[in-house]
Amino acid sequence: MNLRRIFEEHPERRYIMFGGKGGLGKTTFSAATAYWLASQGKKVLVFSVDPQASLSDIFQRDIFGKGPVQIMENLWAQEIDADQHIKAYQEEIRRKILDMYGFDSIPDEIEQYIQAASAEPAMEESAIFDAVVDIVVEGKYDYYIYDLVPLGHALYYLSMAKVYDEWINKITKLREEMREYEEMVARLKRQKETEEDRILSELQYIRGRINASSRILTDKEKTAFFFVIVPEEMILIDTRKAAELFARFDVPISGYVVNRVVPRELLNQNIPPYLRNRIQMQEKYLRQIDEMFGNQVVARVPELERDVTGLEMISRLAGIMYGK
Amino acid sequence: MHVGLLNTLCDVLYGMAIHDQVRALTRHRGNLEHLFVLISFGDLVGVPILPPYYGMRLLPFLAPLLNNWKRRVLRERDVTDALF
Repeated sequence: MNLRRIFEEHPERRYIMFGGKGGLGKTTFSAATAYWLASQGKKVLVFSVDPQASLSDIFQRDIFGKGPVQIMENLWAQEIDADQHIKAYQEEIRRKILDMYGFDSIPDEIEQYIQAASAEPAMEESAIFDAVVDIVVEGKYDYYIYDLVPLGHALYYLSMAKVYDEWINKITKLREEMREYEEMVARLKRQKETEEDRILSELQYIRGRINASSRILTDKEKTAFFFVIVPEEMILIDTRKAAELFARFDVPISGYVVNRVVPRELLNQNIPPYLRNRIQMQEKYLRQIDEMFGNQVVARVPELERDVTGLEMISRLAGIMYGK
Repeated sequence: MHVGLLNTLCDVLYGMAIHDQVRALTRHRGNLEHLFVLISFGDLVGVPILPPYYGMRLLPFLAPLLNNWKRRVLRERDVTDALF
């Protein structure tokens, strides 16, 4: 299997993700893939939700919190500023309370709750994934390339979404039960219909959002998830564990991309033992990778002589990954 | 005159037959609401149940209830509570 064929044979896979431990090349591959797709005439958005995002660095443009920024023809990049998103969200809630009850200011206790809630660790993940729903649901692009935060966060969010979903189901039922009582009372008192329960409709909206965000990660038809690995023992052990976890949450894994492979051809040259050892070590792990993942290994990307930043290097890497 | 009499009769009948039922139903609904707010905003009394991001969307609708609710959860209880 190779990377290019996956894209050609599955044009319906429009949400592309590269996942893996930190620092293995997720952002680099996201950028190169975005570049390649854009140069094929597809409209592409590559976006990151990482607070320490590096899309700005790789494209050498400051795009943090600025919405989609056009990098070249057909290619846009966006870094989501979670803090800003949370602030806007809090403000929306405050506005609503003021409008609904005609208060001049938010009652202290409610303000305290809003502040405390926003300090929760889950807040940021939720805000990020919620922002992603907005971006993806809009559907303006042919491809969405999702520069994932390190594995843990995505898994955390997926499991949180599951728990959330169950709780929302439970309290929706509770709310429905309350409504039945209300209606019974109204009937006994021969009142007209009770007014619509806005909390119930809000709960349904929430459930819709949660499902939409976890669907983006787990949609078998539209999502292609690639693991980025390097030929090193610890990475292999970790990746295997992570792959099992992802499988448990139904994340469809499209393949493994091996990064930082030192070119074997160097062995024919007069090279120091240090480098020779590295190459031999890598060979051992590359064999292991092939045994472990078989034809799911979709690309081997060599260690380049310099880091990948700027469009010129990105273009070169795209050529290596997808062919000219 | 007759209409007034009829209305009074209706009220008396309502009081005799239905009022208690309405009261019980309303009370039960109140209990459910109590539980509902606890699940959604347990944080307020130190019982975090639902993660707050989406829960916050419910805040505008429940804001007027919160003070009474907190008083109700945190008040002291004794055996006579069971009687009423």
